Amino acid sequence: MALVRKDLLLELRSREVVPAMATFVLASFVLFRFALGGDRLGGGVRAATGLLWVAVVFTAMLGLSRAFASEREHRIWDGLLSTPVDRSALWLAKACSTFVFLVVMQAVALPLFWLFFLQEGRPPSIPVLVAALLLADAGIASLGAMLAGLASASHAREVLLPVLFLPFAVPLVLVGVQVTVATISPQTSAMDTLERLGFLGLYATIFALLGWALFEYVVED
Amino acid sequence: MGISSQSARPDPGTLAAAVAAVLMGAALAMIFFYVPTDVDQGYSQRIFYFHVPIAMTTYVLFAWSAVNAVRYLLSRDRSLDMKSYVPMHLGVIFGSLTLVTGAVWAKASWGVWWYWGSTQLNTFLIIFLFYCAYFMLRFSVEDGEKRATYSAVYALLGVGLIPVSVLAVRVSQELIHPITFNRNGANMDGSMFLTFLVSLAAMLALAVSMYFVEMRGKRLDERVRRIRRLAEAAR
Repeated sequence: MALVRKDLLLELRSREVVPAMATFVLASFVLFRFALGGDRLGGGVRAATGLLWVAVVFTAMLGLSRAFASEREHRIWDGLLSTPVDRSALWLAKACSTFVFLVVMQAVALPLFWLFFLQEGRPPSIPVLVAALLLADAGIASLGAMLAGLASASHAREVLLPVLFLPFAVPLVLVGVQVTVATISPQTSAMDTLERLGFLGLYATIFALLGWALFEYVVED
Repeated sequence: MGISSQSARPDPGTLAAAVAAVLMGAALAMIFFYVPTDVDQGYSQRIFYFHVPIAMTTYVLFAWSAVNAVRYLLSRDRSLDMKSYVPMHLGVIFGSLTLVTGAVWAKASWGVWWYWGSTQLNTFLIIFLFYCAYFMLRFSVEDGEKRATYSAVYALLGVGLIPVSVLAVRVSQELIHPITFNRNGANMDGSMFLTFLVSLAAMLALAVSMYFVEMRGKRLDERVRRIRRLAEAAR
């Protein structure tokens, strides 16, 4: 808990990650808006919802690339590792702070998304979208904390993290897009939606377990 | 300094290569001269006897690599790291072949190079991307215990990705896609199934012999490097 507080306090004081993520997501929306054809939304709300998920994943990567930056730059690891704290707790703390950053970023991104893309045509169900994003955030945070740890040890870390992360993002985006886009059409059954949300929950659980079990190997020295 | 003694027993690599050569010859002969032409798909269906065994071999290689990754994390024996890396490397080679043969087959039977509605193709693509990333990680961490550990950890995350990808592709489908053809062994003619098995055995034997070749190369590399280091120290 103290470790999560440390990350959040650091961010509050330095304002390094979250404003960058928010600006990035805004700029991506502007780009996507023009990519879909400026004045008339080509591909409609469906295409825009798909791009929302892409923006979420890319923005998450931007945040994750800084996840272990303070530890690395100020040599905090050495201090943390010499304390009798469980290695998995370090992973959990990092995953929790990443989760908070993602939620804050999306609190900014969703109104913008609504403003930019949902003014034309039938919008997807917002409660489903929010639920899907929260579950996906849990998955991104638990896997991302792990991968950021792996990437931070290599000399190509900024390049490496997206390469390591994107294959894992494919199933997440696939289901995330599907669950939100499906709510645009009225025939989608609640069962389908629940099943897909369940998948997002399962994704988070699987990678949380793997992160918990494997993180000690990432930070051992 | 272990310079291994040459034993009188036949080398397992040579043995595997011989078995692979015999089986591969038999498989090719069966595919082109023995097995009957498929009624629905015609001659092009014969690529099935390459594509599916290659895909299965890819999965076997990845599983083999993951098992050795776990064993490495438990024992910290560096030779296990190599035994995890080599199957992974071969898995990517066989994986590329799977994608190529799959695309050729898709073109022949569906008219497109890639069918985005196919569960198998999409799952395979995700896993293939993952294993390509493994190499990026491996070669950006300096050689040593850290590289071995990180590679093993990433390989094990991939084990989590496999069920996740299969499920993701399943639950994201809006309607059940018509199964254009059935790949179940039970739905195959006896002679087709036999050909398939021989071909699978041939691919597996080929993978095993490639494994021995690559392992030998890696060991030689290691030995040369050690000798060079000694020579530099002696100067």
